[in-house]
Amino acid sequence: MPALLEVENVVAGYGTGPDILTGLTLSIEEGNSYCIVGPNGAGKSTLLRTITGFLEPRQGEVRLDGARMNGSRPDQMLSAGVCFVPQDASLFPTMTVRENLAMGGYLIDDRGLLKERMDMVYQTFPALADRQGQNAGTLSGGEQQMVTLGRALMIEPKVVMIDEPSLGLAPMIADQIFEKITGFKDLGITVLLVEQNAVKGLETVDWGFVLDLGSLEFEGPADGILADPRIRELYLGKAMSREK
Amino acid sequence: MAVVERREELVGTSRGRKPGSTSRRVTLIVSLGLVLLFPLIAYPIFDSYAYVMQLGMLLLMWIAMSSSWNILGGFAGYISLGHGVFYAVGGYTAGLALAHWGISPFLFLPVAGFAAMVVGFFAGLITLRTRGPAFIVATIAMLFLFLLWFDNWEFIGASSGLDLPLFQFNIQFLKVPFYYAMAVSAIGAVYLSYRVAHSKFGLGLRAISQDETKAEVAGINTRWYKVWAFALSAFFIGTAGAVYGYSLTHLRPLTFFAIAVAARMVLMAIIGGRGTVAGPVIGAILILGVNEVAIRQLGESALNIVFTGLILLAALLFFPEGIVGSLRKAGRLPAFLDWD
Amino acid sequence: MQWVQVLVLGLLLGGVYAMMASGLTLLFGVMRVVNLAHAAFILVASYITYVLFENLAMDPMISLVVTMPLMFILGVVLYLLLFPRLEGNPRYVEMTVLLTFGLALIVEGMLTFVFTGIFRSVRPEYASSAINVGEIFMPTSQFYASMISFALLIVLWLVLRFTKTGTAIRATMQNRAAAQIVGVNVRRVSAISFGIGMALAGAAGSLLSFMFPFFPARHWQWVALLLALIVLGGMGSIKGAVIGALLLAVASAAVTTLIGPTWSPITFYLTLFLILLLRPQGLFGAKVRL
Repeated sequence: MPALLEVENVVAGYGTGPDILTGLTLSIEEGNSYCIVGPNGAGKSTLLRTITGFLEPRQGEVRLDGARMNGSRPDQMLSAGVCFVPQDASLFPTMTVRENLAMGGYLIDDRGLLKERMDMVYQTFPALADRQGQNAGTLSGGEQQMVTLGRALMIEPKVVMIDEPSLGLAPMIADQIFEKITGFKDLGITVLLVEQNAVKGLETVDWGFVLDLGSLEFEGPADGILADPRIRELYLGKAMSREK
Repeated sequence: MAVVERREELVGTSRGRKPGSTSRRVTLIVSLGLVLLFPLIAYPIFDSYAYVMQLGMLLLMWIAMSSSWNILGGFAGYISLGHGVFYAVGGYTAGLALAHWGISPFLFLPVAGFAAMVVGFFAGLITLRTRGPAFIVATIAMLFLFLLWFDNWEFIGASSGLDLPLFQFNIQFLKVPFYYAMAVSAIGAVYLSYRVAHSKFGLGLRAISQDETKAEVAGINTRWYKVWAFALSAFFIGTAGAVYGYSLTHLRPLTFFAIAVAARMVLMAIIGGRGTVAGPVIGAILILGVNEVAIRQLGESALNIVFTGLILLAALLFFPEGIVGSLRKAGRLPAFLDWD
Repeated sequence: MQWVQVLVLGLLLGGVYAMMASGLTLLFGVMRVVNLAHAAFILVASYITYVLFENLAMDPMISLVVTMPLMFILGVVLYLLLFPRLEGNPRYVEMTVLLTFGLALIVEGMLTFVFTGIFRSVRPEYASSAINVGEIFMPTSQFYASMISFALLIVLWLVLRFTKTGTAIRATMQNRAAAQIVGVNVRRVSAISFGIGMALAGAAGSLLSFMFPFFPARHWQWVALLLALIVLGGMGSIKGAVIGALLLAVASAAVTTLIGPTWSPITFYLTLFLILLLRPQGLFGAKVRL
């Protein structure tokens, strides 16, 4: 059986610019959670954008359940079950929390199902239930991040790509967010996380990928990576020492 | 990473001696000689001498206009559709001096240019508070505001226009002085464009067109750079307007303010390659040539404006960097066209 | 009483302006396109209305049924033909302005070629009558045009508010990236929005045909006026465009009464300039950086 998501020898970059990903290969199994770490400019965000269809790979292949997905639009990737949560809380600022969640279910036509899913999101994020009628643009940073995560849950994706969920959040709030992401596994959703805060990111998941200069340098169980002094030194030096 | 590369690109286009600099010099001298001697060369060749001289004058005028426009629209990347205003200011300044004080527009050229520049300076102060599409809209509004004012200003003849005394000269050679006066504008504009391209000021403008915020962070006073670019771009459009207005002997606001006039400057610079020195010149030659052929074949008709639009569309869709820009990108720009 | 009259005339005209401007601001909101050809397309519809009236004696208000769908289709086709090519261009917004400028020139030239530059107007019976309510006087044509415009604006609001496509359009206007993330096909939404904008231009053209005489080069004045309206209301905001249109129309009616009709267009350009001077970033929004 093929892996849920496979990235094979992918080369990608923006516009006429240089290659950011320089032949990257990795694969993701269903039901696990993964975190991509690595220095700035390693291509972490570019990888997520390539998988989710916002960026077309110049070479190589992206496969979902064994099917080639190159050139699919973001909405096609979403209906195939790949959901994206980008790093700037990407909300509809003058729509209410409820409307934002409803937009998350844009691809769902069944009203009953929509209602069911929304209740599920409110159960997962009780804080949002109190803010249903409030405009998303007026929420705090942590709450906005919860709305984007909740919105991702609306279509019950197979795999969700989360880009730097802790960006700009106070450590305590960030911890709450990571806790929620840990919970995604229980909902049967595969998580692929990109995190600048390598320790927190790796603590949240089962398996880690270390990226540098646009290709995969190392992969292994998350706790193993955290424990390995050589990897810390070589690839995570700055990111980790900043934490101390 | 992208930032470093951009900077290299900036430096690369403005500095560095290229191997073709001798052939470039030869081109410049030959074309300068050709412009200056053309009235002599053309006399024995063409039967319709006056017509040929008129055509030569128009070509020089459009070279002056598109090269000037390019200082703001090309180097700084601020697209103005309102430069017809400076054309009018120049034309009317010289025309009024002639009609009221009897001063020849040929002598009054610097004043006409300066007047256009002053107006350009203040227009820049206001419109350059905006960026991108808002700036384009602002320049259109500026054009209409001035048109409305000129159309209702009795002192300058309002919408019915201003009559100028005829220029007394041998009828066969009547166009020659106009030709040379226009040559001054054209050569001046290209020279100015060249100097700007090769100066620290020009480098700053290019930085602004690539990424204004970064240019600002790098210590460029973007506001004054832009305002001065606006003012400079107005000068030779003003002198061109002065000569052209005199050659018409009757000034009407719509002659200068017509949006098609503004459209042509933009089109020529884009077709040739905006942000380059040679681009607007090549664009002017090409567009005027195509236009001339179209008129000969099809007669003067509204279809001309359709062609203008179609060419603009094709340029934007298929080679947005223009002839010079596209050739350079492909590494195939002949050295004699590389004036940057 | 004179001022009530000015207010009524201003609001009647403002209704039509509002409908014209809402199409333009919709295009800007959804795809950041400043469509300089909007008024040129309005004129296309005016000429279609003219032909239908002259040859088939079709009432210009009925010809909306022809011009609106026709312009919708033209809009979708033009969008798909021209705009996807420019996507990803680092100077996208600027390129689209020049592109629509070129389109405007093409349309103007073709209209001049076919219909020549002379003034035309469509004169149904109601074009020269008036409705009097007490001392207030309303030209019948403006009254009809205004009512149709308001009706269309309400339909537009209902579509944007309560249909799935409308929701997708609003979402794309608010945050294009987020719309893509939740599965909106933004290219399809853009094409439909362009179609809707053009359909509104079509309706405007039919209505203008019996309100004002027109000639091909007229569209520059119209588009400058419309741009002033939507800058006043905030680019991309339909509500803002409607409010801007009503305000400016009343203001220009007042100027006409106080100073004279020659100077009434200056209200629009001066307003535009003043706004750019006072709040350049506020009204065009920080989103529109190049």
